[in-house]
Amino acid sequence: MVPLSWYLLVAAALFCIGLYGVLARRNAIGILMGVELMLNAVNLNLVAFWRYVNPSDLSGLVFAIFVIAVAAAEAAVGLAIIISIYRNRDTVNVEEVDLMRG
Amino acid sequence: MSAVEILQAFAPELVLFLGALVLLALDMAWRRLGEGKEATILSLAVAFVILSLLLLLGFGKASALPIWGMLASDQFAFFFKGLALIGTGLVLLSSYRYLEGHTPYRGEFYAFLLLVTLAIMLVVGAVNLLMLYLAFEFLSLTSYILVGYLREEGKSSEAAIKYFLYGVTASAMMLYGISLLYGVTGTLDLVKIGPALASSGAGSWLAFPAIVLLLAGFGFKIALVPFHQWSPDTYEGAPTPVTAFLSVGPKAAGFAVLARVFITALSRFQPEWVSVLAGISMVTMTLGNLVALRQENIKRMLAYSSIAHAGYILIGLVCLVSGVTSNFTGLNGVLIYLLAYLFTNLGAFAVVIAVERATGSNRIADYAGLVKREPLLAGAMIVFLLSLIGIPGTGGFVGKFFVFGAAIQVQFYVLALVGVINSVISAFYYLNVVRHMFFLRGEEKPIAVELTLKWVIVASLIAVFVIGLYPHPFISLGTKAVQILGVAF
Amino acid sequence: MGFPILSIITFTPAIGALIILFFPKEKVNLIRRFAIAVSLIPLALSAYLWFAYNQTEGGMQFVERHIWIPAINVWYHVGVDGISVPMVFLTSLLSTLGYFYSAYTIHERVKEYYFLFLLLQTGMYGVFVALDFVLFYVFWEVGLVPMYLLIGVWGGANREYAAIKFFLYTLAGSVFMLLAILGIYFTTGSFDILKAAEVHPFADNFTLASLAFWAFFVAFAIKVPSFPFHTWLPDAHTEAPTAGSVILAGILLKLGCYGLLRIVLPIFPEPFRFYAPIVAALGLISIVYGAFVCMAQWDLKRLIAYSSVAHMGYVVLGIAAAAASLNFNHPAFKESAAIALNGATMQMFNHGIITGGLFFLVGMIYERAHTRDLKVFGGLGAKLPYYYGVVMVTGLASLGLPGLAGFWGEFLVFRGAFHIIPYITAFGVLGVVATAGYILWKVVQFMFLGPFNQEKWGHLTDMEAFEKVTMWPLLLFMVGLGFYPAPLLNIINTATTALMGKL
Repeated sequence: MVPLSWYLLVAAALFCIGLYGVLARRNAIGILMGVELMLNAVNLNLVAFWRYVNPSDLSGLVFAIFVIAVAAAEAAVGLAIIISIYRNRDTVNVEEVDLMRG
Repeated sequence: MSAVEILQAFAPELVLFLGALVLLALDMAWRRLGEGKEATILSLAVAFVILSLLLLLGFGKASALPIWGMLASDQFAFFFKGLALIGTGLVLLSSYRYLEGHTPYRGEFYAFLLLVTLAIMLVVGAVNLLMLYLAFEFLSLTSYILVGYLREEGKSSEAAIKYFLYGVTASAMMLYGISLLYGVTGTLDLVKIGPALASSGAGSWLAFPAIVLLLAGFGFKIALVPFHQWSPDTYEGAPTPVTAFLSVGPKAAGFAVLARVFITALSRFQPEWVSVLAGISMVTMTLGNLVALRQENIKRMLAYSSIAHAGYILIGLVCLVSGVTSNFTGLNGVLIYLLAYLFTNLGAFAVVIAVERATGSNRIADYAGLVKREPLLAGAMIVFLLSLIGIPGTGGFVGKFFVFGAAIQVQFYVLALVGVINSVISAFYYLNVVRHMFFLRGEEKPIAVELTLKWVIVASLIAVFVIGLYPHPFISLGTKAVQILGVAF
Repeated sequence: MGFPILSIITFTPAIGALIILFFPKEKVNLIRRFAIAVSLIPLALSAYLWFAYNQTEGGMQFVERHIWIPAINVWYHVGVDGISVPMVFLTSLLSTLGYFYSAYTIHERVKEYYFLFLLLQTGMYGVFVALDFVLFYVFWEVGLVPMYLLIGVWGGANREYAAIKFFLYTLAGSVFMLLAILGIYFTTGSFDILKAAEVHPFADNFTLASLAFWAFFVAFAIKVPSFPFHTWLPDAHTEAPTAGSVILAGILLKLGCYGLLRIVLPIFPEPFRFYAPIVAALGLISIVYGAFVCMAQWDLKRLIAYSSVAHMGYVVLGIAAAAASLNFNHPAFKESAAIALNGATMQMFNHGIITGGLFFLVGMIYERAHTRDLKVFGGLGAKLPYYYGVVMVTGLASLGLPGLAGFWGEFLVFRGAFHIIPYITAFGVLGVVATAGYILWKVVQFMFLGPFNQEKWGHLTDMEAFEKVTMWPLLLFMVGLGFYPAPLLNIINTATTALMGKL
């Protein structure tokens, strides 16, 4: 059987790639995609931990399902905000969204 | 636990939820009937909040056991729920007619305010990481919407997108921390995590990254450095009543969660997180104050000031006193500080709203000669600013007294010293506003203040003085609330 | 004690202030009369206090003690002893005179002016009567805000800068005091000032005791102000409105000295004894430096302001000498220490009367000439004979001429301190010489003697009735206490000997 640590390493790598995306991308949609990657890393973690650490208690599994659902809600609100920015400014590049300074 | 008991314990939240639904429905129905119903919607919203508050006072502490192992209705949650409801009541009143001329969707705004309050009430009661996450996301999503409520206005959407992007990143990090904690302990129940951590073997090192990642999520809500970058822009761009709410509601919720999770679940690693938080506290107050010094927009200035205050409040959490039956436990300082800060900041923002509505400006320079234009505004504002500085006689002093006292008690003198030096620095920019209001001459046209705003200002004023001059009941309340967390009392 | 006389004295002005808020702001005369009337109540009661204080019994009298914040053992605890009684009276006297004088000179934003002044008065009383640290601290800072606004709104050209400087200096000092107060609480379990004086907190840990000592000392030294913490004072005094300067010099500075006497000396005798040479040196530098800087001033108000630094130096010197006397075990030194403390306390009272008077006099000439530049005056003696006479008496009292009130404080400080710290004290005499120099040479010579500029100053008029009425009580005290200081000295002596007896 594949050891737990392999899953964790994949999840960690996924998380880091996602975080890098968040920090490096300038496009709001791109940042949102980075966040989705981070959330998937979390799901991988949760499911792997559930399977290896405490399979009798379903909480990890349930948590992962909730994360998927919440991520969808997050994306919905996020895209709505991005659309309103696009309407106001004709851009989704966060560096150009700079009405406020200081 | 019987269904009736659960219903009782959950009644304040249910009422709030029902209220939000009713308001949404009314808003939809009445939009076709025409405008002019805002007063009714507002009174309904306030009525629901008051009803919820009454139910909270009546049943809030009814059950000691968490509902389904998810939501506690203990003293600690009780305190923060009360705080959130009172704060919401004041924010609702300050919002009256604020949105006029900005957006046609004014009824929904009140419904969202009720929902965000509901979210806070769930957050502060959560005793399971799953519940905590869901409530936290509920709080975040409703706040994003409120911040970007004026979607036709560039600043508001910009504030929303910044808040959103920082927020989702922070919550993803927090979630990763939760998954690690789950992996180490095999449970999501806060009460069980503590013992499980104590008995866990080789894998327990994972708790360290988990602590840092959790801190990112909680620190974001509180606006602790380095998770604060969103707050100045968000505070400046959001509709001012929302800014007022953000500066007290989610911040208090963040502190509640931080305290509950770190103290009940992570007590084994207390020395570690205490040193991390101590560092964060010092950096937060210093940075907040130094940057606030050069702000010219009052909302932005108050944003940085609220970062700085988060730093002061954190002192109370860092300097936990255990094993002493004293009334200085550090943690109760956090609660008292938050209570005083609630009234102070909401009062200050009510003044900001009043001035904004009259002049259309949030520049500090436009506060020149305010005392001539409306003495009530200037007189109230100076009291709120003095409370923010921490001058005795005001609530702000009591808060500072308790957190600095906690630092002195555990002999963490450096932290106390950094704290008081920062208080002195902060006086400089708060008094700059006073200077404009009282010393300089400006326009002399009187300002008409909305009646509901006057209520908010006067109520906050009274509360600030009552907490400042007769703090005993509030101290007892705070002390009782924190005992449930059992800081080895 | 049935009749809460101290509470009534303390809170009458604050209640008056709240009532003034409800007056329409156009009715300026009503507000003025009301404020003066309100201030007469504490004036009468504090005069009564002086007579009613039982000097044979001594100690704290008229004590009121009620629990205030039970959760953390904070009490509303007030009382007066021989040091506070004269201070309370001084506060009443100068406040009433200040209101009276302001009634004729302040025409702008009258309602706010009296509101703030009455609030300030309560804050000052509170500091002099509080016997609980939290109460003390509350009053200490409550006075800060009205003074800040008084300087900032009604002050001179540079008022904004002066106001914020005053506020920040005082706040910076007092926050450290707050930490020290908390430290005392966590070692003794109470905020009681008298109890702290009995148990001497941190007696077993000299480092902590030193830290607490310096925290308190700096807070008070800023208020005194002692060199090198004095730099806020010339600005604040110069820019403040006349009555504000009078209160500032006459009473607020005494809060610092009072703190040294009430808190630092009784509670931290050991660190104070150890650091007494440093403190005495600061006092000496204040005396000499203050006096010589006065010589260089051309702005009359700034000159008087710096003279306060010098005069307060005597107080610091006297208190430091008393602390230094703990090095010796001989009863003669105790006696000298008590004499030095008597001198310091008398100096506090007399300086309040004299410098308060001087600031009134500066205000009077400024109202007429709209300048305070000494270089442009000259020969006013013949034109304003009454004014000249009053300035002469006050000035001579200020330089310590025997027979006038200022003499006794300085004399007793020197008499007591010379026995204990002879070298430092000997240098202090330089200050006396310099004081005579700037009063006689700068003030008298440049203002009243020399050629008279008829064209420029021909329109000046001599003192009006209300100005005379303002000055008479002060002159009465200067001359009366100069010839017969016993009433003041006796009451102070009960407190200082008791204080030294406990150390």
